[in-house]
Amino acid sequence: MNFFEDNIYLIRAMSAALLLAPLCSLLGVFVTARRMAFFSDTIAHAALAGVAIGFLVGFNEPTFPMVMFSLLVAVAMFWLKDNTALLTDSIMAILLSGSVALGVIIMSAMKGFRGQLHAYLFGDIQAVSESELVLAAVLSLGVGAVVFGHLNSLTLLSAHEDLAHVSGAPVKLLNYLFVGILTLTVSASIRLLGVLLVTALIVIPPAAARNLSCSLRQQIVGSILCGLASGLGGVWAAYHLDLPAGPSIVLSAISVFLITLAISRFRPTPTAVAMRRKT
Amino acid sequence: MSSDDCPLCKHQLEGLPIAVSVRDLWVSFGDVQVLQGVNLEIPSGQLVALIGPNGSGKTTLLRCLLGLQQADRGSIQLLAQPQLANALPRIGYVPQRLNLEKSFMLSVREFLALRLKSTRTWFWQSTSRLDAELLKRLPGLGVEHWLNRPLAALSGGQLQRVLIAYSLLSDPELLLLDEPTAGVDTPGEQGFYELISAVHQVRRMTVVLVSHDLSMVFKHASWVYALNGSVCCEGTPEHVMNAESLKQAYGIHVSPYHHHHHSH
Repeated sequence: MNFFEDNIYLIRAMSAALLLAPLCSLLGVFVTARRMAFFSDTIAHAALAGVAIGFLVGFNEPTFPMVMFSLLVAVAMFWLKDNTALLTDSIMAILLSGSVALGVIIMSAMKGFRGQLHAYLFGDIQAVSESELVLAAVLSLGVGAVVFGHLNSLTLLSAHEDLAHVSGAPVKLLNYLFVGILTLTVSASIRLLGVLLVTALIVIPPAAARNLSCSLRQQIVGSILCGLASGLGGVWAAYHLDLPAGPSIVLSAISVFLITLAISRFRPTPTAVAMRRKT
Repeated sequence: MSSDDCPLCKHQLEGLPIAVSVRDLWVSFGDVQVLQGVNLEIPSGQLVALIGPNGSGKTTLLRCLLGLQQADRGSIQLLAQPQLANALPRIGYVPQRLNLEKSFMLSVREFLALRLKSTRTWFWQSTSRLDAELLKRLPGLGVEHWLNRPLAALSGGQLQRVLIAYSLLSDPELLLLDEPTAGVDTPGEQGFYELISAVHQVRRMTVVLVSHDLSMVFKHASWVYALNGSVCCEGTPEHVMNAESLKQAYGIHVSPYHHHHHSH
């Protein structure tokens, strides 16, 4: 009993890592395949403005405005892409920096919120509340069901969008669905990892898994395992060494990546050999 | 002789069902009219080439056929189906290339399994089960040797074969290929057209291929449409090659056999 009371923050943060890290790293396989890492980074940074606006209008836990603002930025990104001649990268850079600037200005102007700003930028294991854990659990089940339920179409979509369309996949719907679940996952993970670093858990685990895999199935399973190891290891280190959670998780992920890279150098998969020969 | 039709050759194809019918198709991108009233009727079982210079709208036409591009006006009917959605399952499509991210580890086995109805849930199935299903249905293009490899590790020519195998897995009645040899070296290109020719002969399906490579097209196609905004010339390869309008479309003297002999 005492153990739970004494370690309540650790247990909450560990549970959050257990739920969210596999989710980020699962989506990450498709995010990186579809070259959407910068997109996911933009969504994450947009969340900061959402948080600030939430505090400004009186939310104690601004999860709802944070998610809504991220979704809004995602929609704005699509609209600008379709209706202006701007380069996609420029659109994202504008929205990303704009959201961060807005968020930081609002939170600096309000008294007593500078500490919160730090927690949202870099993640805070003490910040994970019970309601956020419930959200993370629901999200894990929901996103897992969506991804594995549409794995064929999602895979095909990542390989070639037109081919997916001709093969009968509902491409437009899937694109929106994917952006939707990515936005929810990214914003839910911000408490743990922080706005600045959340994308690391989407990009690094699939890259680490790639070093050791010869198939997409291996990459998906490997990515989830790498994500889990980084998340749990990072939270553990953050708690015991009193480090900020986000950077601690990111360094764990990079350690995992370096280990897989070293293994692949010493014992390359047949695939790695073939690909090296090709380039 | 009028350069725009060839009554003799067209006559031989009369009576066959129509696989692709396009009527008065107009497409524009902004101010640019890419297709200006395209009309064509492709009888079943033909190997047809759509040729034309860059910007002539041949890829746009193919994208319209597949529902990837909206037309301003005009109508398209594939395999005599009023709705494209009804025809799509009977159509195979081979895109130009995949442009795959190198970090994506999708293997040839997994990619091909996506096209099999019986392996809807490839992720949960054993490799041996997938292989058994695939080997039963693979058209024997040699792709079975590469099942373990990721798509991103294949050469251009190998990838083309895998894409064709993928499209043949559903036994299409109509196969559409978009500039299939872009990014393939010349010997690979030759092999590719021979392969398509063989597949066409064995399966007796309709093949429509978009190409700017005249020499290969003239060797293998049974009917050629020269496109330049609209169909400016159609007929057998020999007929189209000599047509005045094709020379105008390309703006040069066209000699499709110049790769092979220079005797004349």
